[in-house]
Amino acid sequence: METVSVVPEKETITEEVKLITGSEALMRSLVAEGVDTIFGYPGGAIMPVYDALYDFQDQLHHILVRHEQGAAHAAEGYARITGRAGVCLVTSGPGATNLVTGIADALIDSTPMVCLIGQVGKSLLGTDAFQETDVIGVTMPISKWNYQVTNADEIPEIISKAFYIAQSGRPGPVVIDITKNAQQELMTKPFQYQCCQTLVSYRPRLIPKQDQVEKAAELINNAKKPYMLVGHGVLIAKAEKELLAFAEKTGIPVATTLLGQSAFPADHPLYAGWLGMHGNYGPNVMTNECDVLIGIGMRFDDRVTGNATLFAPQAKVVHIEIDPAEIDKIIKADAPVIGDAREVLNRLIPLVQPNDHTVWRNEFRKYDAIEEEKVKRPALAPTTEKIKMPEVIDLLSKKTNGEAVLVADVGQHQMMASAYYQYKRPNSLITSGGLGTMGFALPAAFGAKVGDPSREVIAIIGDGCFQMTIQELGTIAQSKLPVKAIILNNNYLGMVRQWQQLFYERRYSFVELQNPDFITIAKGFGIDGHTCNHREDLSASLDTLLNSDKPYLLEVIVEKEENVFPMVPAGTSVASIRLE
Amino acid sequence: MTTYTICIFTENTIGLLNRITIIFTRRRINIESLTVSETERKGVSRFTIVIKHESREAVEKLVRQIRKIVEVLAVFGYLNEDVVYNEIALFKIETPLGAKPLDIETINNQYKAWVVYWGLDYVVIEKTGTEEEIFTFFEYIKPHSILEFVRSGRVAVGKTEKGLVEYLPEAEWEYYL
Ligand SMILES: Cc1ncc(C[n+]2csc(CCOP(=O)(O)OP(=O)(O)O)c2C)c(N)n1
Ligand SMILES: [Mg+2]
Repeated sequence: METVSVVPEKETITEEVKLITGSEALMRSLVAEGVDTIFGYPGGAIMPVYDALYDFQDQLHHILVRHEQGAAHAAEGYARITGRAGVCLVTSGPGATNLVTGIADALIDSTPMVCLIGQVGKSLLGTDAFQETDVIGVTMPISKWNYQVTNADEIPEIISKAFYIAQSGRPGPVVIDITKNAQQELMTKPFQYQCCQTLVSYRPRLIPKQDQVEKAAELINNAKKPYMLVGHGVLIAKAEKELLAFAEKTGIPVATTLLGQSAFPADHPLYAGWLGMHGNYGPNVMTNECDVLIGIGMRFDDRVTGNATLFAPQAKVVHIEIDPAEIDKIIKADAPVIGDAREVLNRLIPLVQPNDHTVWRNEFRKYDAIEEEKVKRPALAPTTEKIKMPEVIDLLSKKTNGEAVLVADVGQHQMMASAYYQYKRPNSLITSGGLGTMGFALPAAFGAKVGDPSREVIAIIGDGCFQMTIQELGTIAQSKLPVKAIILNNNYLGMVRQWQQLFYERRYSFVELQNPDFITIAKGFGIDGHTCNHREDLSASLDTLLNSDKPYLLEVIVEKEENVFPMVPAGTSVASIRLE
Repeated sequence: MTTYTICIFTENTIGLLNRITIIFTRRRINIESLTVSETERKGVSRFTIVIKHESREAVEKLVRQIRKIVEVLAVFGYLNEDVVYNEIALFKIETPLGAKPLDIETINNQYKAWVVYWGLDYVVIEKTGTEEEIFTFFEYIKPHSILEFVRSGRVAVGKTEKGLVEYLPEAEWEYYL
């Protein structure tokens, strides 16, 4: 027996006598849902909610961002580190449209988020009223679910549904558009909140079908050269321990996708590296050597497969994935297993035979040696006058013992942050993978720090990216949280410049930046920082950054025309990977 | 190009048509016809969407994407042979004085079409059938000067013995009985 939104199990709040406004109901719903933080920005159509929030400040910590895009990315950072939905609260019209990039980003990177958006009063809907935007229409293709609330009575049920949908199955952003009258008016019935735990039409499969698991186990047991590709789904499912147990039992080498980084310890002997356009040499080319490819919580993105028709044509594919629409979408699966990564691995572990695949694993090593020789060594012991990005990340990795959280923006510095940091703990690389949203890092790093203040959070940002959400320095300064940021300044939109160099005959078309003095700007916001220009100062500079108990900005001036390698040119086979 | 009939069962909420068509638009799949109505279960709507596509795989992917919409209860992609289907068409035919009279007997017996309205100098003929049957009749009636012609879009039910109950057993739906 199942109805739309019940099972009174978690927390049930019942208020007998007093009828409350929609805004207060919203506050109480958030409290009941266990929300502790809201990233928001007020405005006309959401004022009744902000007024109610005034009385709930102790329970709902509201953080005033400087731009709604900052709220969205901060909520994403918060969600990525806590596993719980990040909450945004903004006004209608421009407040809502400023969230759009972050919502799209959260959808493609499976990040739980609940966006609460003010809307003009019900009677004004469709009249081009002041700051009226069709938010439901705008966000329909970029949200997991959206809903327009037009009366106060709906609020508790819709909020519980919103959190359930955002956080369950394959997580994603949910948008709730709340008309002003619904915020203002009194509910007609006593407030009551019941956490939603099931819906009739939405039933993500967590527990896999046994026959699918058995078929997968059989393929894995018969494999001579099995190879595991691990994605964000493992982190979302909190299946790192199970993955480790599975890998150690079977001896199967593990590579991660960009978003799968830190799902498997980088210093583990079974860790092969990461794969994708700028991933490691061996992990990329070995996709075309293995006989069984096991994708776990990943979706064979084109930045992973290159030309998909040439991707692992020889391999039988086991695809473990919670979203059935991902099965066969890009790569045909011989053994699909639909379910939560942790639930699947737990059932798979007893069915697989112990193995060690030493000979096969050693085949990766010869590629590692070539990459070491051609790419890593010159990158880490450069003869150039200017510092190179890999040096910074490598030194940072050593100084933090691979235990910090890096929040990387988008571009060359992002790829270097992924390639040269030895991630040892889960959820340690937070970056915009699917959408590649420049400007993600600063607010997301802030959100991550809010979500887990116990971890050292360091944003790695390009000089271009920094200027997309630079205003969030204000949010960080006001919060006083010790968020650290490193700008790797090459004075270029480096990644685009690299493409222009390699594929457009060095015709540098609008990629050079005349940058402001970032440190002066930071200081203007009340954030301390300094610039590091010389290799001999790098270590001390990083120490200053790490030792600061306040927010800190370190700008490192790096080699201007450095390229990221390895590189699989877009649309080609992973076999066409270039090392120089 | 193969014709596929996509049957989508959904909760009856605002904006669902939009949610569904977005998925077609994004993949540049043209909708040939579309009908929506409530099913034998209260609050459950049925969309019947006809498309033409050369790739069965693409249609399967489309079906899975539609299934992801939160309010969607079930989706089925059928080939023509898997379904019983029909459309209804209305023809408004000019019948001015002195024109060749309509051969009602042929229209009724051969084409299984019926005059459902007699106007002063026109009639409305209703024809139920497959797209092909409707167009065969269209060819036949064309010489009579068609003032207006409208087709409903396909309605279809699967040829399996299963009813909705077998597909959506979990829910407690109210029935129209
Ligand atoms: C919002 C947005 N606009 C444009 C792009 C395209 N783009 C990808 S990387 C990049 C350059 C980033 O420059 P910078 O932040 O300096 O990083 P670098 O590559 O130099 O390390 C651009 C423009 C993008 N990903 N996102
Ligand atoms: Mg740059």
